[in-house]
Amino acid sequence: MPTVEQRVKEVTARVLKLNPEDIKIEHDFMSDLGAESVQSIELMAMFEEEFGIEMDEDAALSVETIGGAIEFITMVCKEQGVDV
Amino acid sequence: MRMILYDGPSEKRANFHPLSLSRPIWELRCGMTTLAEKLIAKIGATDVACFVEAYMADSYRAKTQMKVNDPAILAGDDLLIVNGRVKAAGFGVTPTGSSEVGVTDDGEVLYARIAAADLAKLKTGGIEELLASAKAALPTVTPELATWNYTWDLVLANPEQLTEDFKVAGRSGIEGKVEQPNAIRGSDKDVFIGSGAVIHPMVVIDAENGPVYLDEDVEVHPFTRIEGPCYVGRKSILLGAKCREGNSIGPVCRIGGEVEESIIQGYSNKYHDGFLGHAYVGEWVNLGALTTNSDLKNDYSDVSVMLDGRRPIDTGSTKVGSLIGDHTKTAIGTLLNTGSYVGAMALIMPTGKPLPKFIPSFAWFLDGVVTKGFGRKKLYETAAIAMGRRKCEWTEVEKNMWEKIFEMTAPGRDEAIRRGRRRMSRS
Repeated sequence: MPTVEQRVKEVTARVLKLNPEDIKIEHDFMSDLGAESVQSIELMAMFEEEFGIEMDEDAALSVETIGGAIEFITMVCKEQGVDV
Repeated sequence: MRMILYDGPSEKRANFHPLSLSRPIWELRCGMTTLAEKLIAKIGATDVACFVEAYMADSYRAKTQMKVNDPAILAGDDLLIVNGRVKAAGFGVTPTGSSEVGVTDDGEVLYARIAAADLAKLKTGGIEELLASAKAALPTVTPELATWNYTWDLVLANPEQLTEDFKVAGRSGIEGKVEQPNAIRGSDKDVFIGSGAVIHPMVVIDAENGPVYLDEDVEVHPFTRIEGPCYVGRKSILLGAKCREGNSIGPVCRIGGEVEESIIQGYSNKYHDGFLGHAYVGEWVNLGALTTNSDLKNDYSDVSVMLDGRRPIDTGSTKVGSLIGDHTKTAIGTLLNTGSYVGAMALIMPTGKPLPKFIPSFAWFLDGVVTKGFGRKKLYETAAIAMGRRKCEWTEVEKNMWEKIFEMTAPGRDEAIRRGRRRMSRS
């Protein structure tokens, strides 16, 4: 089963139309990966779909980096009883 | 005699969504006044109270002088309880007399006249309880009373109602300032310009086919053309607008572009060019530049509207525009389909094509799909800013009501979000 990190990178690559191998854990969604505000919303929606979770909008949209997203999603999965 | 307005059963109220999500039906406008104002004037009541849905009671209490949802008002006097959907024009029930309950074939109470002496044998703990016991214990009749059934009924009746209301208001003449050159077509008797109103030069007021009533402190900028019948509420501003016939514009609006046979509740902006026709727009709405709604299908067939996002309802009319709920904002260039339902607290980005006919409340419509967007907290922040700009306050009470509306409207929105995500996943 792919790791949370791999899945986060896959979703990010699909939404932002990037190569997953080019995405690093320290990358900032906006300044490094070029995400615009509308794409942040799409990313949040696709993360929820990928992991089968429900995220608080304010908390999710305050996440800035790939590493932050991995940490946040892992925490939400744990809270909501989703195995990852 | 005490008149009590009763905001009908929930399933009938839903026919007036999204406008009735945040107000009782009788606060909707048709012509120059609200439905409540017409009913109260028709009955000639001075003691008026009301019952609304519990979730909006605190919010409504802050906006009305009537007593709201107070069971104490159900005692101590003869009562005339009137369903807010009843059309005032045909309401011929005498306010006092022997007890009698007017009930439709499907059991809805349209009015209940209850003599004080009969109250003792009824349950008066709340309005629903009282009406149920009145139906069971008092004589009932099936009245021939016309009712408002859908929001578009108000829009379609608006031109005629404007003319009627102008006659009832009985005012004409110029109390405000009209700067020259200007042109008033038709009879001076069909024009009223209220005190404090300012009509800039190069404005045409055309009362040839219907009266024009510009309320206090209205401001009309150059190159505006106003065709009657038309009502513009206090402190509203028309900015070079092509204001076609049959418009009711509530207080404190900013209106530009082309507007035809539409009702705008109040405190809303349509500052720029773009066409709005046969529409009903709520409060605190902002329509971005070039926002345009279709109100006529290319094949001239009847327009249908989806009030719940699933079942289209045939309006029986070839002309129906958009129904737009309170606090909704459209971005520049938004194109709304014929008979569109745009929920309250929604945020709309255009796609370059006409949008889906149902956009749920609290939707962030982005890139052609309904999303959760940045969530409702951001929408509330925007609402507070918009209201603050007009010296109105977004209160905890308002927020609590909208939280309930968020819950009530969740099923349609969640379904639309799921559909949107399937589309996002495929693209």
